[in-house]
Amino acid sequence: MDLVQKEHDRLLKRLRTSQGINNVQATIDLLLSARNTIAADPNQAAVTLTKLQNPVKASFNSINDSLKETHGGLNKYTKSLDKLFKDRPLPSTEHDVLSEQEHLINRAIAMHLLREGQFSVAATFLSEISEKKATMHTHESPSSSSAAATPESVSSLFNLDEVPSPEIRKEFASMYYILSQMKEQRNLLPAIEWSRENREALEARGSNLEFELCRLQFVWLYHGESDTPVGNHIPGNWSAAMAYAKREFHTFLPRYLREVQQLMGAMAFCPNLQGSPYSAIFNNSSAWDDVAQFFTREFCSLLGLSADSPLYIAATAGAIALPTLLKLQTIMKAKRTEWTSENELPVEISLPPSYLFHSIFVCPVSKEQATDQNPPMMMPCGHVIAEESLKRLSKGSRFKCPYCPNESHMKDARKVFL
Amino acid sequence: MAAELTSIKLNPESHLILDQPLLRLPHELARRNFKTVQRVVEREKEYVLPALKEAANASLSNTHTPDQTLAALDAMIARMQGLKRKMQSLQEEEKKIQTQSRKRIQHLEALYQIPSLADVKYDQWSRVRLDRLLVDHMLRSGYSESAKQLAQERDIEDLVDLDVFTQCQRVVESLHRGETKEALQWCGENKAALKKSQHNLEFELRLQQYIEMVRTQDPSKKIDAINHARKYLVSNQDPDSKEIQRAAGMLVFAQDTRAEPYKTFFSHERWKFLSDLFIQTHHELLSLPSQPLLHIALSAGLSALKTPLCHSAYTSSSSNSQSTTTSVCPICSTELNELARKMPYAHHSKSYVEGDPIVLPNGRVYGKARLLDISKNVGSVESGKVKDPTTGEVFDESEMKKVYIM
Repeated sequence: MDLVQKEHDRLLKRLRTSQGINNVQATIDLLLSARNTIAADPNQAAVTLTKLQNPVKASFNSINDSLKETHGGLNKYTKSLDKLFKDRPLPSTEHDVLSEQEHLINRAIAMHLLREGQFSVAATFLSEISEKKATMHTHESPSSSSAAATPESVSSLFNLDEVPSPEIRKEFASMYYILSQMKEQRNLLPAIEWSRENREALEARGSNLEFELCRLQFVWLYHGESDTPVGNHIPGNWSAAMAYAKREFHTFLPRYLREVQQLMGAMAFCPNLQGSPYSAIFNNSSAWDDVAQFFTREFCSLLGLSADSPLYIAATAGAIALPTLLKLQTIMKAKRTEWTSENELPVEISLPPSYLFHSIFVCPVSKEQATDQNPPMMMPCGHVIAEESLKRLSKGSRFKCPYCPNESHMKDARKVFL
Repeated sequence: MAAELTSIKLNPESHLILDQPLLRLPHELARRNFKTVQRVVEREKEYVLPALKEAANASLSNTHTPDQTLAALDAMIARMQGLKRKMQSLQEEEKKIQTQSRKRIQHLEALYQIPSLADVKYDQWSRVRLDRLLVDHMLRSGYSESAKQLAQERDIEDLVDLDVFTQCQRVVESLHRGETKEALQWCGENKAALKKSQHNLEFELRLQQYIEMVRTQDPSKKIDAINHARKYLVSNQDPDSKEIQRAAGMLVFAQDTRAEPYKTFFSHERWKFLSDLFIQTHHELLSLPSQPLLHIALSAGLSALKTPLCHSAYTSSSSNSQSTTTSVCPICSTELNELARKMPYAHHSKSYVEGDPIVLPNGRVYGKARLLDISKNVGSVESGKVKDPTTGEVFDESEMKKVYIM
């Protein structure tokens, strides 16, 4: 990369000091002055013109010289690029399954834009998609017979699901409204209202979002509606916070008794909260970001969506995985082997831990990953192996667990879910 | 722990695979620009030097009047001034390209300053990359307005190639309308580079013009067609080649013929073929990959993330939307689920489960600490009981059984 940068620096410098145009101007000057001489004294024409030959030729040569220099610079830069990307061609395009599923990709993109709050871009994108579809139809209709056109128009009706439904769009719009209120105005009320409307669903998930929001609201009121804690005196809004607590916290009492007690206990330290055991609750600089993240996660989960944009995670994981996959491709090409396991990648790709979402079960006997067809089975001793391995080991009779002295029968094993 | 450290290590050199076109494309443009400069200089040189010599000779032998000499000089001056103007505008163009390259190099350089994949800066960098990939995809699919808007909102206009693709799109659209003019003009502009191309775009375009003339079945047009073939087709190709013979054979067929290959020649599908060929040639010339970068990144990413559980008939205990302690896996999320269905899943050689796993009577496996934690937070569960966050069933704590996963 350093080399690329250095060569490009040179290229830029050369561009700035380029003499080409000056040389052209010099030629023009030569011609002009000759013209003037001849115009003043026509008798000089022959002499002037003869004298002019070599200088003009010379100035053309110097134009070419400066061009050559530029050319050299460009070539050097090309070489530095080649070096940077050496042995790293883009993966071959042989099996591009994705291009057949253009509409699914477009749907994913539209959802991604909505998630990111890019509502106007998303709107443009969707209208351009439907526009393109419309023109495709008008293009196709004259050539295709009427019989073929009917199923097509039916399928286009069904294709509507390839764009996110208006409901999803509305949901994301309201999510963005809530988030922007939270982040820009420090206004938690819309979020609290949302969490109340969805209290049942949230409680079923074991989520304490509503309480987290109300607690932050309490802290915020206590600090006098500002982020930074005020000094060691009783803030003006101590009473506002207490009034809020009296009004709201009773609903949380059975579940969050301890937490509410902490908040109330903290009030006793009031002028000197900094020194109290509760100061962490009140001086948490990342509290707002944490709550915003928490809210986003809960909101998306209720829609059955992942919290971070799947498109972002997948594209990033792809960039991380590509070097390994490319290496694999070159090795396979060199050894002229084909990759035979159609359902599974032939190499392990190490992604950062935050990219692991599911538990993974690899059968310790067969070293194969469990699937629906070959699920993990737990023997009475508590050890787990894949069903196929189990069948092979037991052969229908009692057998010893490969990991402990326990003996059991095939029918004692139970399917487990990870 | 060691494995964790290697898995988050960022190796910028190999990480740049997707970003080659980012630097290659402006460089190809710069080279094309340079060749144009070279050509115009050469052209003026070829004119001015002989003209000057001739003028000198003429005035030596007194065959020119002074006025004629002056006129000749004026002509030369005018041409040189034209050259200067051209060079100035080309230099402006070059400056634009190189400033853009500069910004792109800086963008890639930023990656070298990021120590690990877990760094917040990597997250930001990767988001910019995703935006770039999205714009690339939109441009290739012809959604230029969306691309432009996204690039503007994300302030990455210098990192994407709006103009190049918009021009490409314009030619493609003209081909869809059944016009060859713009595509031929593009061929003219890139004549030198096209010689190296393995596709014969220009020949196919000329052939199409010929086909359109024959299609009319008007005798005078057919004469035109023959002249056209002589001028453009035969000069380009070996006259005995199959294409030329077929083109000649076409003259006796009407456009509703069922005889092959003439039927294909007359078919409207041929315009689609031409526009595809144009895109292919265009991308090749500018070192652009033939498929959108987003596809490359996604297909690798979907496989790397996918597990057999993502399309399982059973809800996974470790990742689902029913509990607040699990996050939804991106492959299971509606956006990508269908897309990932046909992809292979990732290979793993080791099991990966939560710490201290236990199994419930219904066969579901959870980390013990997590399960107890959830049960405490769900209001309606009495103490001493646990609630399965996936199925909602409630069990006694004593029913949790240790499970060994190796």
